[in-house]
Amino acid sequence: MATDVQSDHAVTTTDGELPLVGIDRRRAGLGAVGFLGFLGLWWVAALLQPPYVLPAPPVVAEAAFAELASGEITTALGESVRHWVPGTIIGTTLGVAAGVAFGWSTVLDDLSSPVVRTLRPVPPLALIGFAIAWFGINHAGAAFIIAVGAFWINFYASYGGVEGVSDDLLDVARSLGVDGDLELIKSVVIPAASPEIMTGIRTGIGRCWMLVVAAEIFGVPGIGRRILRASNNLQVDLVITYILVLSVMFLLVDMAYRAVQRRVLVWR
Amino acid sequence: MAINDSDGSAVEVSGISKQYAGKQGVVQALADVSFRVDPGEFVCIVGPSGCGKTTLFRILGGLEPATRGEVTLDGSPVTAPTPNMGIVFQEYHLFPWRTVRGNIAFGIDNAAVDGINQDERVQHLIDLVGLAGFGDSYPKSLSGGMKQRVALARALAIDPALLLMDEPFAAVDAQTRERLQDELLDIWQETGKTILFVTHDVEEAIRLADTVVVMGKEPGQIRDTVPIELDHPRSRADAAFGSYYERVRSLIDG
Repeated sequence: MATDVQSDHAVTTTDGELPLVGIDRRRAGLGAVGFLGFLGLWWVAALLQPPYVLPAPPVVAEAAFAELASGEITTALGESVRHWVPGTIIGTTLGVAAGVAFGWSTVLDDLSSPVVRTLRPVPPLALIGFAIAWFGINHAGAAFIIAVGAFWINFYASYGGVEGVSDDLLDVARSLGVDGDLELIKSVVIPAASPEIMTGIRTGIGRCWMLVVAAEIFGVPGIGRRILRASNNLQVDLVITYILVLSVMFLLVDMAYRAVQRRVLVWR
Repeated sequence: MAINDSDGSAVEVSGISKQYAGKQGVVQALADVSFRVDPGEFVCIVGPSGCGKTTLFRILGGLEPATRGEVTLDGSPVTAPTPNMGIVFQEYHLFPWRTVRGNIAFGIDNAAVDGINQDERVQHLIDLVGLAGFGDSYPKSLSGGMKQRVALARALAIDPALLLMDEPFAAVDAQTRERLQDELLDIWQETGKTILFVTHDVEEAIRLADTVVVMGKEPGQIRDTVPIELDHPRSRADAAFGSYYERVRSLIDG
């Protein structure tokens, strides 16, 4: 039977996604123009201000190379990574797990809702006291602050993703013999919610780089600490240098993550 | 390798009623619906839109409860979706993150059907529904007709005794619909499964069914059951086909 599916199939080859390597030239070109424009404005603005208010790009470049040559950047980065990595991983894992569980179970959801709503608006920075009391002025304390930030972003992304899973897909799975919460979560809920979960993880990773600065306010060494110290000394060129380090790190991690995301969500 | 490991089931629908609390009071969606389906029989439920056939489909599949009455499958009450009943929806509801092969294998993966070579079975089903060469495609790249073939193969994979289908071919073009109907008849004849097929298309019902259950609306109820005593393949040009058509039409219009 069914030998001719010819007129019945329409396999699309244009899926609108950019290939991994070849980047859209027009977009890249405009991006370069925008970047150079920004640099130009900065430069012009710097000429009108004393250097302790806004140093010109070459001054910052000089400072950046000096910091790089002396190994300061690598040291600071190494310190920050030591709480960024565990904080992000722990916060993300717990956030996704809790979001999936509470999004799936109405009982858990109803039980936790008042607590969640109370804790949700607390900014991670406000928890610095707890970080110090529970973990001390160290990487664990800073990781805690970062993890709290990652937790909520992932919690809500996963929760929303799970809530959006179609009941029809669950019905289909049940009619195909999948029974029990854990089985349904594993075989339907998580894959169906994976686009939202993956977007949450991505947002969380970015937010965690921002939180690196906040988490180091109370004295843990790293990029954020360097920024704060340079600020206190009015070394604006160093402030900008370390901000750029954060930006570059964010960009690199984000690019790597997007490559993974595209692979995982190839079915979209 | 056989797909028809299990023979068709008997279905008994007794006194099904369904009421909803609507904005203007209670809505009677279904009133005292009863009929029976013999093992291996192909039954089409046909009725105008709004006659409650989708509600009946959901109750038959154990997807929602009836207010009164009972559906039994080989004697046991249906209260939840069961692997003894393969369900095919109008909107396919494929798992978009799985390939064609992965979708078809879903029930086998999860229910661990014993004693068969899974890869072979999945490949056989891919061939059976005419999707050879598309095993590794994702649903997003398939046409409506192809998606419905995948949904059918997925339902057949766990070897249910009954196939329950809700307007499965309503969303595809006329040409494809006819071909899918023929393929479904082939599969039915090959596997001997019981098929319960909901449609609003009278012609489709007469082309396919051994028995047409005709529904009317307000409230949704059975007007009559019409046995179609025509050999396959059936032709619309046939005079007998035409008189069945007129009869069912007039029953629907009341």
